[in-house]
Amino acid sequence: MANNTLLLGILVTPLVGAIVALIFANSNRSQRSIGVLTGLIAWGFSVSLLAQVHDVGVQTYALGNWDPPYGIVLVADKLGALFAFMVTTIMIGGLLYTYHGHDKCMSYPAFIPLFLLMEVGLAGAMLTGDLFTLFVFMELMVLASVSLTAISDDQYGLEAALKYIFISSMGTLFLLLGIASLYATFGTLNMAQIAQILMTGELPILAASSALMLLCAFLLKSAVFPFHFWQPDFHTTAPTPISAMLSSIVVKVGVYGILRLVTLLFVEGAQVMEPLLSTLGIIGILFGSLGALRTYNAKRMLAYSTFAQIGFILVGIGWGGTLALIGAIVYAFNHAFIKSSLLMLMGVVASYTKTKTANFSDIAGIGSRLPRPLGWLALLGGLSLAGVPPFNGFISKLTLIQGGVESGEWLELIIMVGAGILTLMYMIRAWQRIFQQSPRPTTVGVKEEGDSMFAPLLMIVVCLLLGTIFAEPLVQLVSATVQQIQDPSVYIRAVFPEGLGQ
Amino acid sequence: MIEFMFAVAIGMLFGIGVFQLLRRDLIKAAIGFAILFSAINLFFVAVGAFEGDFAPYVSNVEAGRSTSDPLVQALILTAIVVSFGSFSLVLGFVNIISRRFDTVDSNDINKLKH
Repeated sequence: MANNTLLLGILVTPLVGAIVALIFANSNRSQRSIGVLTGLIAWGFSVSLLAQVHDVGVQTYALGNWDPPYGIVLVADKLGALFAFMVTTIMIGGLLYTYHGHDKCMSYPAFIPLFLLMEVGLAGAMLTGDLFTLFVFMELMVLASVSLTAISDDQYGLEAALKYIFISSMGTLFLLLGIASLYATFGTLNMAQIAQILMTGELPILAASSALMLLCAFLLKSAVFPFHFWQPDFHTTAPTPISAMLSSIVVKVGVYGILRLVTLLFVEGAQVMEPLLSTLGIIGILFGSLGALRTYNAKRMLAYSTFAQIGFILVGIGWGGTLALIGAIVYAFNHAFIKSSLLMLMGVVASYTKTKTANFSDIAGIGSRLPRPLGWLALLGGLSLAGVPPFNGFISKLTLIQGGVESGEWLELIIMVGAGILTLMYMIRAWQRIFQQSPRPTTVGVKEEGDSMFAPLLMIVVCLLLGTIFAEPLVQLVSATVQQIQDPSVYIRAVFPEGLGQ
Repeated sequence: MIEFMFAVAIGMLFGIGVFQLLRRDLIKAAIGFAILFSAINLFFVAVGAFEGDFAPYVSNVEAGRSTSDPLVQALILTAIVVSFGSFSLVLGFVNIISRRFDTVDSNDINKLKH
């Protein structure tokens, strides 16, 4: 089989970057430069991979030249390449923020290596074609993000990290149990081979239970309703660039896993999973939007909002039609950009206070002392998140609603549009509190200098401008992706060009 | 017979692990997490251990008889490393938390509740 080294490049570049950054442990400045440089190289790899996947077809890399199903194989189909592109792009934003960041934790020698290891875990989980490797990459991502939150400047970071590692480890345990059950049933862990076997045969009882375990593990990773309680704490207390990554791309690993479950592995069982997914999504939309309305902290508000937005994506996956899937993936893509840039903007705002928190009591009215463009871009980002035309948030909501109209789920559509209005309410309210009010007596201690606005402004301008102008190409790209993932045989044939010789 | 005993052992370890994980004492919870992980590792071994007659990679296998599955053993080696990593990270967190809060009772570690 043809090995494409680009796949390996995306994974090895951050890994090597992490090791090189460890060598430069004494010089924090060069560590940060290495971080940005590595992020850019990995981004270059992922862009050319995305182009190749769309031009030529699914790309694979058999590690150590062990042909599948015996060895570990990395597979980039259109879905995996798109998600890897999303991950590496947003990672650059986070690394740029860290480059100019003033947080104490960013000067620790372990910060940049852990950040890059998180990228390895994220990209690896999206590019692997082997379930056990997926488990290893997900655990790498979890351990890196937990350590980064534990060293946060926020005094509650450690508590949130402990809470999350217990919950997330339970999820990982069930993922491993599900993988072991699949291995007991089919004697293989290659996703393409399992899909091939399940396409022809019926679903054995052990495999059905393992589908449920995998589903629960992925739902936990993306903080969906019964498993969401850790999410606001964890995402609020993390250092700003990390919380931007957590709320935008780390939760998308779960979304990616669920997409793989319903479109590749358990296509037959998808009819059972889909109503469950859309119900959980609707609950998430309601609770997340209402929770965001009553929060006391801007970062926490955005974390609750992630809970709601993941609900939108899940409802799209739950509808299961072609248009609905396109809507869900476009939504996932746009949400990652908007949410990460908004969280970084809030981080910049919070960095101007002496307490370094984003509590509304501390940051109310602080906007009048900040540079002007910050406020206007925060407003535009909020409008985009709420889905006001013509921004990219509107494009994603529109495609999703088209999918809903196609499926004829009117009740869920009404709830979603209502939740969109709630999103508008809490975003506008937060903007007014921060940027429109006059400073209150409680707004003590505004510092002269905060974190640099470069990264969030770059991210939000790129996301609003490019996301809005290139909405049509993005939707076409995602349409091609959905067309491919709806036919699992494309994936299977790419991994086994000569068919399964058994 | 030994397969049955494996099943009983996995079940017992799983039960003990879940019980310990739900305790208020964070150290006991962390140990429960380690026990749970070994239950699952044991399950993984049991998946492939009783297939053949010989240990994998034995050179003088008699004709007509088979070796057991080597892959599960390679897999759980990785899983054990991963579980060790997360277990030590949990213990490290509990260590710092116990010094910061002067307790390991999870009911008293509630600063996140505003």
